[in-house]
Amino acid sequence: MDRALKTRLEARFGTVLAGEVRQRHDQTEVRIGAKDVVDVLRALHDEPDLGFVVLADLAGVDTGREMQVVYHLWSSTTSDWLRVIVEGLSRDDPRVPSATFLWQGAEWMERETYDMFGIVFEGNRDLRRIYMPPDYTSFPLRKDFYLPDDAARSPGAGVRHMERTHHPAEASEAPLRSGTGA
Amino acid sequence: MAIAKPGRDSSALTVRGGTAVAEPIVVRNDLWSPADPAAYGGGRPTEITHLAELEQSEALRRDDARWSGLLEVIPTKADYVLDLLRANSLWPLLSGLACCAIEMMSFATSKNDIDRFGAFPFRASPRQADVLIVAGTLTTKMAGPLVRLWEEMPEPKWCVAMGDCTCSGGRYKRSYSTVEGIDRVIPVDVYVPGCPPRPEGLIFAMMKLQQLVKDRRGHWPERAIGPTVPQDV
Amino acid sequence: MATNAPHGTHVSADDPHVLLDDDYGLYEPIPPYPPRTERELEFYTPGDGELYLNMGPQHPSTHGVLRVVLKLNGERVVDIDPVLGYLHRGVEKLCENADYHQTISQVDPLEYISSLFCEWAPVMAYEKLLDLQVPRRAEYIRVLSGELNRIASHALFMGWFALDLGGLTPILYAFIERDEIVEMLAALTGQRMLFNYFRIGGVNGDLNHDFLSRLGDWMSRAASQIEANTALLNENEILVRRARGLGVMDGPTALRYCMTGPNLRATGVPYDIRRAHPYSVYPELDFAIPTRSEGDSLARYLLRIDEIKQSLRIIDQCLEQMPDGPVTTKLPRLLRPRPGRAWAGLEGPRGLYGAYAISDGTDQPFRLKIHDPSFIHLQAVGALLPGHLLADTMAIMASLDPVMGGVDK
Repeated sequence: MDRALKTRLEARFGTVLAGEVRQRHDQTEVRIGAKDVVDVLRALHDEPDLGFVVLADLAGVDTGREMQVVYHLWSSTTSDWLRVIVEGLSRDDPRVPSATFLWQGAEWMERETYDMFGIVFEGNRDLRRIYMPPDYTSFPLRKDFYLPDDAARSPGAGVRHMERTHHPAEASEAPLRSGTGA
Repeated sequence: MAIAKPGRDSSALTVRGGTAVAEPIVVRNDLWSPADPAAYGGGRPTEITHLAELEQSEALRRDDARWSGLLEVIPTKADYVLDLLRANSLWPLLSGLACCAIEMMSFATSKNDIDRFGAFPFRASPRQADVLIVAGTLTTKMAGPLVRLWEEMPEPKWCVAMGDCTCSGGRYKRSYSTVEGIDRVIPVDVYVPGCPPRPEGLIFAMMKLQQLVKDRRGHWPERAIGPTVPQDV
Repeated sequence: MATNAPHGTHVSADDPHVLLDDDYGLYEPIPPYPPRTERELEFYTPGDGELYLNMGPQHPSTHGVLRVVLKLNGERVVDIDPVLGYLHRGVEKLCENADYHQTISQVDPLEYISSLFCEWAPVMAYEKLLDLQVPRRAEYIRVLSGELNRIASHALFMGWFALDLGGLTPILYAFIERDEIVEMLAALTGQRMLFNYFRIGGVNGDLNHDFLSRLGDWMSRAASQIEANTALLNENEILVRRARGLGVMDGPTALRYCMTGPNLRATGVPYDIRRAHPYSVYPELDFAIPTRSEGDSLARYLLRIDEIKQSLRIIDQCLEQMPDGPVTTKLPRLLRPRPGRAWAGLEGPRGLYGAYAISDGTDQPFRLKIHDPSFIHLQAVGALLPGHLLADTMAIMASLDPVMGGVDK
């Protein structure tokens, strides 16, 4: 857990961050909005004292209320992984600027996120489906896409814990926001 | 050419009928039909559900792969020899899809050797292959190409469903993109359960297939296409 | 197809009276729909003298079901368009509907050749969510079995690399190695391949006599056996001349393509998660990070051979330093971690293998995202390939060591 990293990030990006910088175990978490993605990622990548040159992962998350895009970055200047959460994307039309201007390797990761969630990455030159067939119409990892076998239509719906599905309207915001830095 | 960009029409992103359960993806059973409409039981599920019934029936004793016309006078010993030849040189098609493919490769190499069964050449082209060993999960995207491979194989051909995923969908039975068992799309002769089955298991399956070929129980006209399990299971 | 059958009837290709036509039905030809993106437009606009070749999902050399559409000018590859998804099994969605413990067996078949790493990353992420301390003996056993799995994976790579370059013998040698190691792991975990061995808070069972006797037996001849197997290839003029200078990538480009693991270290960037961001008991172990600077396929191959030797060193040290103690942690059957997020990244045989787990307080993970290195490396094939010959397609892909299970999840 790198406390100095927290101070550095708050000093550099203070106005842009939505909420505080959280730290837990060996991860530091930063939340920004979709409009700041380009500036923040470019600063994290280019500035020598930040130097987050390794993009470890690009994930999409559907919290039930909103969509998020999560970047995991690594830098040689700190001992923590940095997690950048782009939050507040609407579930109907989620759009985020693409990270391919910095990392060409993000192209397929964004394609996968588009395929699974429907999040449109503006600036990605190749945003088409990667896993599902090209004429597929749904986005499988969204919370309103139920597996065909889901218990929502079986007599035992909700009785066994395994058969409870994550219904978007019931997913509450609070659990995901809690979890304070230790 | 105009580019159809995603996201221009934002309504395309919403999943309509949000609370309804998605319809399962059903891969049709009519992806492939044999050239002879009477073959494979006419495409109906088999009425003979137990091997014992098959042995009682006269279907076993009927000779379907007959020589025609003048060649009928050749005694049936030749058929027996032909089957022996086929059984001892079953050339598989390299159709390893997923993890079971590694066990299939292990089954083909030094320690568990199928070269002693005559089956070492894994043909790359379906036109030259006898057996389609489907090793690995079949997804809906791959179902089309797999059926096409099956179509391209010339008869006589057999199919071995290796691994749980090909027998019944396995651990991915509840997934939105897997086909629950390849017997939904192609006729299967031998099922090898396991995740992944040990190479010894696959050797047993090949020996069983050889036995099938020699006993002429692998009559292709008798095999069924389609699940032999009721639809709602 | 040209027949008199009514429209919509599927006529079999076996029928000798049918003249094959362009009507392929539900099979995916080179796209019949208008291009949807700029890249697709650029790719599917043929230049002068260029042709498209479809290396379909079934091909003797793809490492699983990968379809590559090649744009060729004569024998030279101008551009490629890999099509994935033929093995997409929806693992992440299935994990959302399963218990935490059940997800461990669900993620096994992702990188099926090195499944212990596939289990290790989510397990590490869950342990961070639960603030669990794993017993030291369990950590050592994890490292030991993980390094064994790494050696098995690299041995298979060696065989596969030679197979894709046309040599049919080395894969037999590779499988001798791999079968021995895998039988060892079967003695330890019960399974030859999809081990399902790691548990949240430890491993499934302690080391047993069968495993240790096989391991000791194998270790005594491992180094010389690997030397013998690789001598077949390292000195082989055909392999060396084909692989040298093939698919050269330099460090900054590799970082831009988010490459990690041996593919990145072969370009000169000494980035290894075990040293860059240590986890488990790697800080206590002494091993080197092999790095090469040429960046071509031969460097990638030789680097993995070097890594096998380093893994043997690690296994030696694990056996020496193995502490006593429990190997499991007592956990409730239904785990309910407090809501939060955790990421765990570790060094798999192909690169950075990561898992991002989100918990919402219930007994099923809210989201489990797996980051697979093979998925990333396949993008780089498109950068490395243009200008090479058709036969080099396979060589370059094999040298990047992709596993389609992980690519397609």
